[in-house]
Amino acid sequence: MSDLVETTRVEQFEPRTGRSLWSDAFHRLLRDKIAIACFVIICIYAGIAIAAPMMFPDWANEVDYDNLNARPSWSEPLGTDGFGRSILQKTLLGANVSMTVGLTANIIAIPLGMVLGAIAGYYGGWIDDIIVWLYSTLASIPGLVKLLAIKFAFIDKVLWKGSWYELDLDGLPGICIALGVISWIGTCRLVRAETMKLREMDYVLAARASGRGGLSILFRHIIPNLLHIGIINFSLGFVGAISAEVFLSFLNLGVQDRPSWGRMISDAKMQLVAGQWWEIGAATVAIFLIVLAWNIFGDRLRDALDPKLRNV
Amino acid sequence: MIEKNDDIILSVRGLKTYFPVRGRLLGKKQYVRAVDGVDLSVRRGRTLGLVGESGSGKTTAGRTILRLIPATAGQVSFDGQDVFRLRRGAMKALRRRMQIIFQDPVGSLNPRMTVGGIVSEPLKVHGGMTAHQRRQRVGELLDRVGLSKMYVNRYPHEFSGGQRQRIGIARALASKPDFIVCDEPVSALDVSIQAQILNLLSDLQDEMNLAYLFIAHNLAVVEHFADEVAVMYLGRIVEVAGRDALYEKPTHPYTRALLSAVPIPDPNARTTRVQLPGDVPSPINPPSGCPFHPRCPLTRELAQAMDETETREIVTLGESVRVVRRCVEQTPALQEVPGDETHCHACLLRQGNT
Repeated sequence: MSDLVETTRVEQFEPRTGRSLWSDAFHRLLRDKIAIACFVIICIYAGIAIAAPMMFPDWANEVDYDNLNARPSWSEPLGTDGFGRSILQKTLLGANVSMTVGLTANIIAIPLGMVLGAIAGYYGGWIDDIIVWLYSTLASIPGLVKLLAIKFAFIDKVLWKGSWYELDLDGLPGICIALGVISWIGTCRLVRAETMKLREMDYVLAARASGRGGLSILFRHIIPNLLHIGIINFSLGFVGAISAEVFLSFLNLGVQDRPSWGRMISDAKMQLVAGQWWEIGAATVAIFLIVLAWNIFGDRLRDALDPKLRNV
Repeated sequence: MIEKNDDIILSVRGLKTYFPVRGRLLGKKQYVRAVDGVDLSVRRGRTLGLVGESGSGKTTAGRTILRLIPATAGQVSFDGQDVFRLRRGAMKALRRRMQIIFQDPVGSLNPRMTVGGIVSEPLKVHGGMTAHQRRQRVGELLDRVGLSKMYVNRYPHEFSGGQRQRIGIARALASKPDFIVCDEPVSALDVSIQAQILNLLSDLQDEMNLAYLFIAHNLAVVEHFADEVAVMYLGRIVEVAGRDALYEKPTHPYTRALLSAVPIPDPNARTTRVQLPGDVPSPINPPSGCPFHPRCPLTRELAQAMDETETREIVTLGESVRVVRRCVEQTPALQEVPGDETHCHACLLRQGNT
C-alpha cells in the first residue's frame, strides 16, 4: 500500500533533465571519503607550492656552518643539509617545482595526445597517416635521449625576452615544455585505437543520422567515452613528470635556482653513504604521498565518470 | 530525372555500395559488392519489408539510403529530392525527416549520455526549441513509447533490451520524421518483447503516417508487419511483391527456398523443404550472370531436360553440375509478372517465354 502511494507521488514530480556527466561525477565524488582525502592532500601540496616561496624567501642564504648535516632534532625536525640549511623548509620549497612540472607537463601532453589521437582515429586516411608517422618517429627515439636533446637545445634560450610573457626555456618552463611534448605519445596511441573502435558504434551513426557534423560527434560522443584514458594517463603522467624532473636535476640539467625534490635526491646521493638519510628520506616521502594521492584520486574520478558504476 | 509520384516517398534506383578491400601486394584492387544494383520504392505511410540471409547487404542498403555510408553509384530520391546530391545544409534539414532504428539495443545508445540527452539530441541539433520545450517534448516521447518520464536522468545500462529499443524509437521519433529505416529492430529481443515493439511500431505508423523500410531476416515477422516485401540476395533484389502475393505465389526459386524454411507452428504439418546447397558466395567475387545460379535448384532441374548446347557444366562445392547456359551468361533484371504489375522478380527461367 505504501508502495502505491509512493509511486503516485513520484509520478507527479516533474524531473529535471540532464544533470550532466560531470555534475553527476562531482556529486558522487563528494560522497567518496577516500577521494576527498586524496583531493585534500593534493590541495595541501598545491597550497604549500604557492605559499612556501613566500614564507621562506631567504632560505637559500641561511647557511649555518656550525650545523652541517645535523640529525633531526627538536629545533630542526628534519635535520639540515650540507650547508646547514633546514631540510623541512627545503622540502616545502621543493613542492613548487614538482607541482608545476607535474601539472604543466600533463596539461600540455594529455589534451595534445587525446585530440590528436581522436582526430587520427576518427578521420582516418591521410590525417591518420601523418599523425601515426609523427608519433612513430618520435617513439623510435628513446625517451631520455629525447628529453636530454630538447634540454640541450633549450640551453640559454629565452623567448620574448623582456616582455611580461617572457619564456625562459633554460629554466622551469623549458622542462615543462620538454616533458609535455615527449609524453603525449602513449596517450595518443591508446586514444587512437579506442576511437577507431568507437566510431563504428551505432550511436555514432545515430548521431550522424540526426544531422550532427563530424567535429561535433567527435566532441559529444567520442571524447566523453575516452575520458577514462585521459584521467588514468594524467595521474600516471603526473608521477612520470615528477620523476623525470628528479632525473634531470640529478644530471644537473634541472632547475638550478631553487630547491626541488630532484635536487635534494641528487644532493643527498653522497650523504647516504655516510648514513645521513634525512634529506633523501624527506624528498622520497614527499614524492610518495603526492603520487599516491594522485593515483587514487584519478582512479576514483574515473569510476565516478562511469555511469555503469553509479549504484555500486 | 527524378520521377514525381505523390504516393512514393522514397525511391532508390541502381544503388551500389562497394567497400574496397586491400588485395595482395601489386594485385588488382578488389571490392566487396555489398549492395550491387538495388531498386526500391517505399510508399507514404506504408512498410516495405527487406528480407535476405545475413551477408546479403540489407543493412548496408538501409544505411546507404540514409547517406550514412557513401554510395558507389545510384540515386536515392526522397520526396523529390536527390539525397546524394544535397549540400550540407539541405542534407541536415532532410535528416530531420528520415531516421533509423538499430538492431543492437546496447550499441545504439551512448553509455555516457542520459536518456533525456539521447532523446533530445535530434531536437538540439535541429534547434528552434527552448530547453523547456525540449524537456516537455522528451517527456511526451518517452510517454508515447511506453516509458516513464522519470527515466530522463537514467543511463542506458539501467534498462532491459526492450526498454532500450523503446529509447531508440523515441530518439528516432523526436524530429517528427516521415520515413524510418528499421534495421532488424526486434532481432535482438525476446520473442515476448518482439510483439510489443512491433505493435508499438505499427501504432506509431498509423498515428504519424510513417513510412518504414523494415529490414529483417525473420520472414514470419515481415509477413505480420510489411505491406510489400523485397527479397535480397548477394546485394540484389531478386523478387519484390505485395505481401500476400509474395507469400502465396513466390516466383523466384530463392524466395521459394526461403519461404520453405519458415517453421510452421503445427507438429503435423509436413512441408517440402527446399534445401539450398552451400553458402552465400563471397560478395568480393560474385558468380557471373544470375548470382544465384550455383545454388539454384530450378536451373539444375530444367537443365536435365535441355539440349546440350543450352546448358553448361559448372563446378560448385567440388562437384560438377549442369545448369542452364543463360543463367551463367545473362544478368537478369527485375521484370513484372504478367497480370500483376506490383510483383517483379529477377529469374531468367521464369521470365518471358519459359
